[in-house]
This record gives sequence, structure tokens and C-alpha cells, in this order.
Amino acid sequence: MITSFLPILGVDIAGSVAMIVLALLTLYKARILRATDPDNAVFLYLLWISTGFTVFAVSRSFGHILKQFLVLTHNADAWQSISAYSGSVNTVSFMLVSLITVFFNQSWRINEKILSGRKELEDAHQQLINLNQTLENKVIQRTERLTSSEHKCRRIFEQSLDTILLTDNDFKILETNPAGIELTGYAKDEMLMNSMTVGDFFADPSDWDKVRKKIRSEEYVLNEEVAFLKPDNAYVTVMITAGIDYGAFGCAKSHHFIIKNINEKKHMERQIAQADKMAALGELSAGVAHEINNPLGIILGYTQLLLKQDPDHAEDLKIIEKHVKSCKTVVSDLLAFSRKGTSRIALVDINGMVKGVAKFLSNHSDFRNIDICLELYQNGQLDVTGSEQELTQVMINLMINACHACEKTGTICILTEKPDEKTVLVTVQDNGTGIEKKDIQRIFDPFFTTKPVGQGTGLGLSVGYGIIKRHHGDIRVKSTPGSGSAFTIHLPAASPDHSAQTEDHP
Amino acid sequence: MHCFEKARYPISAVIIWAVLFLLPSQAFAIQYHDSSEGIIVHQIGHLFFLASMVVLLFTVRGKALARKKGWRCIQYAALLFIFWNLNTLAGHFLDNQIHIVDMTPISFLQVEIASKSNSSLLNWGYYLLKLDHLLCVPAMYFLYKGVSLLVENQQPETDQQP
Repeated sequence: MITSFLPILGVDIAGSVAMIVLALLTLYKARILRATDPDNAVFLYLLWISTGFTVFAVSRSFGHILKQFLVLTHNADAWQSISAYSGSVNTVSFMLVSLITVFFNQSWRINEKILSGRKELEDAHQQLINLNQTLENKVIQRTERLTSSEHKCRRIFEQSLDTILLTDNDFKILETNPAGIELTGYAKDEMLMNSMTVGDFFADPSDWDKVRKKIRSEEYVLNEEVAFLKPDNAYVTVMITAGIDYGAFGCAKSHHFIIKNINEKKHMERQIAQADKMAALGELSAGVAHEINNPLGIILGYTQLLLKQDPDHAEDLKIIEKHVKSCKTVVSDLLAFSRKGTSRIALVDINGMVKGVAKFLSNHSDFRNIDICLELYQNGQLDVTGSEQELTQVMINLMINACHACEKTGTICILTEKPDEKTVLVTVQDNGTGIEKKDIQRIFDPFFTTKPVGQGTGLGLSVGYGIIKRHHGDIRVKSTPGSGSAFTIHLPAASPDHSAQTEDHP
Repeated sequence: MHCFEKARYPISAVIIWAVLFLLPSQAFAIQYHDSSEGIIVHQIGHLFFLASMVVLLFTVRGKALARKKGWRCIQYAALLFIFWNLNTLAGHFLDNQIHIVDMTPISFLQVEIASKSNSSLLNWGYYLLKLDHLLCVPAMYFLYKGVSLLVENQQPETDQQP
């Protein structure tokens, strides 16, 4: 049968070319597919199979085209010699494709395992992210709580009006609050740089020994009253509570102190006690003075009568008269202390009064070697309402005491001040021997004196105290043994519109 | 103190090897292969190719991959390659194995197909079998289309990745 060759030839050549083109395109697409997910085993499989098909298509198509060309150009013998090779390559290529294809199932399983593993990994990763997020949230919450708590504690520490001190095991200061700086008078850096201990604040080292031993033995002290000495030599009475902190989270053992300033409270208590004592003594003194004054008047009257009538015993009678007069002076002082006297109330120019006292005493023999200096308030009138006579008496008493403290050689300064519109201060300051700490509580007691017997009645300061109290004022003392004392009288200033007035004060 | 290492092979094995090596005889290990083996191997190759395509077809079906258009195209490709393999198996069987059909190009325009039985049906059947590219080219096209569709399906997923 002879028939048209063109369909076979056309389909064979065009088909071969199409096979090559399609196989190459498939390989190209398979490479793109693989690039999208290099870990995907199925895509790798498709790349392999596409490669196999490309090898198959190229080898087969070239064989076919070559065969047609050689046969049609009457070179069939040439084709016969190479057809075996072409056929073999062709066989190998599609067997390769077959082999790869057979492993599709295995490739799929491997891919599923990979995907499953990846999914598990992603789940685990997500769980880790969630856990991490939860952890982060918890850390944030805890940090916020911790910050809030720390802020509260810090505020309590910073705002506390009581001193809070934190020390190490050797009582070396580690931390203090602003109240501690104000109470002790030392800057925080000073405390830390100089490695100060709590004991350095104590005025009396024996007090510190006692407190320290108690902390060591009992691990706490509760409301111990001691005195602190500030850098300016001022004493402050404080109440100490302390305990031991054995530390947490690896922190070292430490001590914490809460120190309360009870200086004002103690001062007030002392003032109240003093006032009560003075009131009781005043009543007693008034009673005694009243009962003694009349007999003394009678004794003095009869003594003076006898002096006129019996000159033979004049010497003895004068001794009696002298001592009776001394007794009357004491009684008079007692009456003055107990407010039983009378005085004239008027506007008193303090500066004028001070100048008068200074002038009067400068002529006194005891003040011959005393340097009296005046530092008077210059910014206006310094008036108080009261008895000039009584205030003068107080000033003279203070000056005489200062003179005795200086042992008649030294400097006495009188300062007048007006710190505010309502207060007038008068300070008598000497550089004498000062007052012992044990005596300072008693100096305003009647009949208390440190002078030798016969040189003082012990009534000067107590009478002065009574007068100042009667003027609604106060008298305070600061003294350093060996350096001198300063007595400051606080008096209420007269109001500017105060007109001069006089009245009898009982 | 050194210990003597134990012999790896027993002495008897050494003797056997020595006898075999010193007293050789004809082994007939290399046989002559007839040229007809080539076509048989080729046909086995086609059968193997066909079988692998069947495996691919049913694997794609078994894993319900045919729901995706790409894999469905690959399934079509496998089916067409199965038909193509059947086509080529038949063609090679007729002209190369049992030699009952022969085709001789006369010119670019004409070809002579001669069968031993002068069966016109066989001649025309063989003529159609020679148009095998009508099966393998579409098969290749479906393979290309299948891979292309898989790339398209994969691309949006890749684009979504940060």
C-alpha cells in the first residue's frame, strides 16, 4: 500500500520539536515550583521527573528528526549504524522516568512526614511564642507590682518624719532618709564616705555601748531614750527602736533603726514639770515668807528701838539688825518669786533697759575686769509690756551670774533681737565656766546654787524665772561646760498700736 | 607485654582460595547476546514506563490530589503516556519484533507500507500507530500545564509570606 507520507513526517517532526519545547518548559516550571519551597519533597520529585522527561524528550526527538532526515536523504545505512545507540539512549531515558515515577508514593510520604514535622515544629514554635508572651506578660505584671511596691516603700522611707537608718552588721551606715540627715546634721555622702556608724551620733559613748550590746544579745531595742550630739554641738534627745534583718535573696545581715526626735517633747515635759515644781515651791515660799515676814518686822522694830534706848549693846544689836535685814531680803525675794509683790506695768524699751543695766553694772567693782559688749537690735523700737523694775532685776541677776561664771574676768555679751513681729529676744552670753549637764535641770530651782555657802541665796534665777513667766515669756539656757553659757529671754513684743498704759500688777 | 592478634581468616579458607586460583576451569560466565535482545529490552522499558504511569495515575487518585487542577492535569498526562506506551508497544511489536509490517519512504510525499498478509486493515492500523506524537505531545503538554498550575497555586502562598 502506497499512501501519503506527509502526515507521518509532519506529525513526527513537529511532534518531536513540540516534545522538546514542552519538556524544557516543564523543567523550567518545575524549577520555579521547587524554588517556592525547597524543603518540599514532592516538588523535588516533580523536578526530577521533569528532568527525566526532558532527557527522554530530547534524546527521542533528536533520534526521530535525525532518522527522518537520513532516510529521506537516502542515507538509511547511516541511520542503521546509529539507530541502536539512539534507541538505547531512548530506552534508558524513559526507564529513568519510570524509575523516578515509581518513587512518587515514597516521595509523597517523605513530604508528608516533613510537613507533619514542620507543622509540629510550628505548633511547638507557636506554643513557645505563647509561653514566652505569657512569661513576658507575667514579668511585666510582676515588675509593675514590684515597682509600685518599691515606690510605696520608697515614699514611706523618703517622707517619714522619723529617721530611718539602714546599717550593715558592723552598724556602718548604708542608707538614711532625709529625716535622718536633718536629725543628725550630717550629709548622706559624709556618712557614707566617712564610714560613719550609728554610734558616732551618740553624745554619750556608754549609751551606744548599752544599745549595741542589747541589739547583739536580744536582736532588738525598743524605745530607748538617748542623746545625740550634732556637729554644731547641739544635743537632741531621741528614742531609738532597732532590729536585725537577716537578709533575703543572698543579702547580708543588716540592722535597721527607727529614730524619733523627742527633743521638743522632752523639753515640753521638762517645762511642765518645772512649772509644776515652781508653782508648788511658790505656794510654799509664799506661805513661809508671809509667816516669817511679820515676826522679822517685829524683831527688826524692837532691835532698832533697843539701839536707840540702849547704846551699850549697839554693836550686838547692829549685828541682829543686819541679819534680820538679810532675812527680809530673802523673804522679799521669795515673795517676788511667788508673785506676792506689786509692780507697775508699762511699755518697756528693752534696748534702753539693757543699756541702763550695762551702764549701772560697769561701775560695779565686780565688773572691773569684765568686758561688756552690747549687740542691740537697730531696726526699730524694741518694746515689751511689763514691769521695767522687774525686768531690770532679771537682767541684773543674769549679769551677776555671768560675772561669777567668768570668775570676774572675761566677756559678757548682751544681744537683743526681734526674730519676728511678736517676739523679743534678750540674750546674756558669757565665756565663763559653763554649767554642768547634771546641774542644768535644776538651775531655776529656788535655793539651788553652785556658789560657795554665803555667796548666793539660790533665788536669783528662780525669781527671774518667775518674773519672766509672769510676763508671759520664757527663759532658756544653752551651756557648754568650759566654754560658757547663754541665757535667752523670750518676751512677747508690744503691739505697735499699744499706747503707754500703766497698771498695778499683783 | 604484647598479645598476638588473632587471625582474621581461618587457614581452611586460605587453602580453598588458593586451589581455586591455581586450578582454573572454563566458567562460561560471559554469554553471547543476540541483537534481538535490544528490542526486548526496549519493550520491557516501555512496559515499565507504562506501569510507572499507572502507578502515578492511581497514586494521584488515591491521595485525592485530582481535586487540584494541577494534579488533575498530571493525571491526564499519565493517562496519555499510558496510551502512548501501548501505541509504541504495538508498533514495535509489529515492525520490530514479529516483522509483519514494513514501512519504506518513497519520497517526501509517499510511503509504502507492506504487510506480510497484505491486510489493508493492518496497514492502516500501522499507519495510525506511526502517528504516536498525537498522544505523547498532549501528554507532555498536560504535564507542563499541571506543573504550571502547581506553580500558580504555590505563588500566592509564597507572596503572602513576609
